[in-house]
Amino acid sequence: MGTQQAETEAPEFYAKHKKIYPREVSGRFSRLRLISLLALLGIYYLTPLLQWGDRQAVLFDLPARKFYIFGLTLWPQDFIYLAAILILAGLSLFFFTALLGRVWCGYACPQTVWTEAYLWMERKIEGNRSRRMKLDKAPMSAAKFRIKLLKHTAWITFSLWTGLTFVAYFTPIDVLIGKLFSASLGPWETFWILFYSFATYGNAGFMREQVCLYMCPYARFQSAMFDSDTLIVAYHPERGEPRGSRRRGTEPKSAGLGDCIDCNVCVQACPTGIDIRDGLQYECIACSLCIDACDGIMDKMSYPRGLIKYTTENSAQGKSQHILRPRIMVYATILLVLCGALFVHISQRVALDLDVIRDRNTLYRETRDGLIENVYTLKILNMDSNPHRYILSADGIDGMKLVTDQDEIMVEAGSVYQIVVRIQADEFNLEKRSVTVNFHLQATDANHLVMVEEARFVGPGKS
Amino acid sequence: MNAPIPENIPRAQQVISVLWPSFLVAIVASGLFFSAFNPVELIPFNLDIDISPLAAYSIGFFLFWILAIVSSTGTLYFTISNCRVLNKQRR
Repeated sequence: MGTQQAETEAPEFYAKHKKIYPREVSGRFSRLRLISLLALLGIYYLTPLLQWGDRQAVLFDLPARKFYIFGLTLWPQDFIYLAAILILAGLSLFFFTALLGRVWCGYACPQTVWTEAYLWMERKIEGNRSRRMKLDKAPMSAAKFRIKLLKHTAWITFSLWTGLTFVAYFTPIDVLIGKLFSASLGPWETFWILFYSFATYGNAGFMREQVCLYMCPYARFQSAMFDSDTLIVAYHPERGEPRGSRRRGTEPKSAGLGDCIDCNVCVQACPTGIDIRDGLQYECIACSLCIDACDGIMDKMSYPRGLIKYTTENSAQGKSQHILRPRIMVYATILLVLCGALFVHISQRVALDLDVIRDRNTLYRETRDGLIENVYTLKILNMDSNPHRYILSADGIDGMKLVTDQDEIMVEAGSVYQIVVRIQADEFNLEKRSVTVNFHLQATDANHLVMVEEARFVGPGKS
Repeated sequence: MNAPIPENIPRAQQVISVLWPSFLVAIVASGLFFSAFNPVELIPFNLDIDISPLAAYSIGFFLFWILAIVSSTGTLYFTISNCRVLNKQRR
């Protein structure tokens, strides 16, 4: 049978999923983790509430095609910054992975953060690990239904809040909440709130570790950044083995055992359901909960802590450790150079753009005075957060004349102003059929707001 | 290639393996596309369509997603059917 053989060929890769009931643990790393999770959740939910002047501090205004990030306003032309920030984020991930292993997975990944939040609600409502397992095994009853209903209500409420917050990054939150209460949300706003809520509900409530195991690309390639000095969570078999249960206060050696009492608490604590004692596995998100779980047991047994601990491959094998190694220095150098370049570039960014479009209908025309005239449409883009007056000038041809109907051009903050100008020149001064002219735009109140744009001036040409 | 070739991937996993990478690609594609083009300016003048920018961006995103889904489905289909052929030959 074809299918039968395929099943025996690849059985464990696609095993049926078993629900994981992570046991609650407390300790140093759980506390650190909790701080990180709360800080990240706080940043996510509170950022849209911040104001900057008379607008939302962080707002991706798609209809106006402007991204506001505190004092900075980014236009579609500034897409390069977004790309640079993404590259920086990627490089930082490389750097921190090489140095600290999967610290991102365990402490900062949104999947981890929201899963923990949902797990916290589950614990508060359904109880500890054994109660949750018992509840799920029990047949449906009024009491079970009530508990499950309460949990899903809490989850869905939190999801909807998450979805609303997500959309508030694109539509100002006061407008959004106003629309929500007057039941006048647009169809797409409603859709995206529900879409994001559903994704949160599904990922954090149900998919959980399966996202890490089956959907996360980083989980697959992070090992490429690892070396023997990367921080990992590891069990120390030479100290723990042979494992076995014993009475409290037993001296391990007298019983012919290692320090591991085989209590399975580390396995129960693991949110991805692995046994860390089997060695380094790609399922391990380095959340360090097994460290806290084991340390608690070691304390109870009066054994020294650290049977499971943060370590490196080199340190575990008794070799010397190197923090500053070529890989780290290369990542750090590239990261610093790029960060510096981005910072310099953004700080020197001229919040002004000038587009020159030559009139395409007529190549040139002759004025009554016998001069050659070209017509241009200028688009002035004031990307600054203040209005400015600009002076326009042009050069490139001897004795040329710029004709405009206004001496100073006023452009409001963050808007585009269009103006038609003419350039007149004596045919005698035109060396070729088409020569280059330069438009200069200078703000009257800010010296650094200067923009020069090239254009073509076309004449009859020398015969 | 002596590794066992899986061909009986559960349906749910197949669906996710198509939807998820295409979703990521659609985000990148929409980001690149819409930073270059303003969707409101793309609508031809002779078409009298009144569409909000948010709707235009959303529809654009879904078009990219659908395109990427078609591509991913193709890859998945060919991979699985090739696996079937290879496994049959090996038996």
